[in-house]
Order: sequence, then C-alpha cells, then structure tokens
Amino acid sequence: MKLRTSDRSIFLSQRMIMKSLRVLLPIVAVGFLLVLPELLHAQAAGQPGRQMRHFWHVFAAYAVAWALLFGWAVAIARRIARVEDRLKG
Amino acid sequence: MSLRTVRWAGVVLGFLGVALTILFHWQVFFWVPTEASMGIVQRIFYIHLPAAWVGFFAFGIVALCSAVYLWLGEEKLDHAARAAAEGGMIFTTIVLTSGPLWARLAWGTWWTWEPRLTLTLLLWFIYLGYFLVRSSTDNLDRGRKFAAVVGVVGALNIPLIHMSVYWFRSLHPQPVVARVDGPQLHPDMATTVFTALGAWTLVFLSLFLFRYAAARLEAYADRVEAARLNPTRSATPEEVMAP
Repeated sequence: MKLRTSDRSIFLSQRMIMKSLRVLLPIVAVGFLLVLPELLHAQAAGQPGRQMRHFWHVFAAYAVAWALLFGWAVAIARRIARVEDRLKG
Repeated sequence: MSLRTVRWAGVVLGFLGVALTILFHWQVFFWVPTEASMGIVQRIFYIHLPAAWVGFFAFGIVALCSAVYLWLGEEKLDHAARAAAEGGMIFTTIVLTSGPLWARLAWGTWWTWEPRLTLTLLLWFIYLGYFLVRSSTDNLDRGRKFAAVVGVVGALNIPLIHMSVYWFRSLHPQPVVARVDGPQLHPDMATTVFTALGAWTLVFLSLFLFRYAAARLEAYADRVEAARLNPTRSATPEEVMAP
C-alpha cells in the first residue's frame, strides 16, 4: 500500500520542522542558561548573599520549565519519526 | 481539519510562540521592575501564573473533547483530548515545581497542605489517572471511554482551585490578575505576565497540534498495518483512509 504524494510531503515537512527544533531549542536553552546568572547578578547588586539564593531558585524554576517543554517537543518528534518509519516499512 | 492544515497551524503558532517567548524573557530579565518585598525570586511569578492558566486551558480542552467523544464516539476527539492532557500535565508540573521554589523563600516552606496547593496536586493526580485508566484495559474503546469520563470529571476541580482562596482560609495569595476590578499589578508587571501568557499559550497550541497530528498518523499506520496483515480480504475504505 503506497502513500499519496501529499501524505509523504506532510511527513517530510514535519520531520524537517522537528529536526530544526532539535537543533534550535538546545542552542536557545544553553544560551539562555549561560546568560541568566549574569543577568540576575547584575540586577541583584547590593545584597549578594540573599539575592544569590533567590537567583538559584529562579534559575531552577526556569530550567525545570524549559526542560519539561523541550522534553515534550522531543518526545513528539520521536513519535512522528517512529510512525513515519512504520509507514515506510 | 486536514493534517496539512494542522501542520501549518502548528508551524505558524510555534513561530509566534517562540517570538513572544524571546520577548517575555527579555521583559522578565531586563525590563520589568524588581518587586520591592520579595526581590528577584518574584520573577518566578512570570512562569508560575501563565503555566497555571495554560494547564487549566489544556484540561478544559480535555474535558470538552472527552464530553463530545462520549457523545459522538469520534476517534479524532479522543486523539485531541489525549494530546491536550499531555500538555496539561506538562504545564501543571511546571506549576507544582515553580511554586515550591518560590514558596521556600516567600513563605519559608517548600510545601503546605493548604487548599489551593492540595487541589492543584489533586488535579495532577486525576490526570495521571486519565493515562493509567486508558491503559488499564485490553479493550481499546473501553479504555478511551473510561479515560474520557475521568477527563470530564477532573475538570470540575478547576473552578474549585480558582475559588479556593476565597472560600477557605489560605496561605496562597488571592488572584492579582484575574479579578473583577482588573489586575492589581504594576502596569509593567501586568504587561510582562500577559506577554508570557500569550507566549506559552501559543507554544502549547503548537505542540498540541503536532501531538494531535502524530496520534492521527499512528491511527492511520495501525489501519495500514491491519490491512497488510490481512491479505486474504480486501481492505475497507476506512482502513486505508488517509489520516
């Protein structure tokens, strides 16, 4: 049983989007996590001890949020790749 | 809705969501003023509140799609409900992790069994049950129907969570944005939280549409494989119907 051309284009486009997401999201996430300490430290000038503890909590909250969203995006991408392989086979 | 439309909607919403996300991070870390009493830890607010709203929105979609699925029995509605439930779990998990990180410094404790926190944790467990119930039976249709019932009943918890700070003595502050008399926030803080809300709603909708498309493709692959495994009889139109 063969897929129609329009169906193939749907799978290929989705794979391309998910591949670009896989590349783009880690770059954005790593860049963000690298600049975050500097940003918060700059804003927290004056009360270093107390604010550094606050910084770690903000850092952890944002890191967990983005890890969860990124994990969901990757899980969807893998699911689409698996179903595409099934349809090709 | 065809898969082509779903794909394009997902791409457009995804790009808009990423753009707004970059904007709201710039607002959070460069633009919005630091709250006077709590300091920088208050910046958790800009992911905590939007995550809660998006989580409730996602579970609202689950309830709506599940109710119509129970009525009409359309497989697509079950796919949509399951995709939204995954998103709701992700965003509620963000709420349940960012909240304690904020509470430890604001209240001096990671967790307290006060009504709003307890009901939100209960919501998370109800929708965990949504996935467990689905896979608890070998009969696929029965599992879907059980899950749909859980999906509808679970959403009844959402108004309780919202009203709990008014009805019960609560450590959690009362709403500062969703109020009858308008947001009680500094205008820059209100702008930032609304940008964050828009960004995460778009990110959720984009991923939801891709997850929904994946579920429909899986159902299509199942039909194609079933037709391949039964070469003795010709496939029905439903079995080879495009996703």
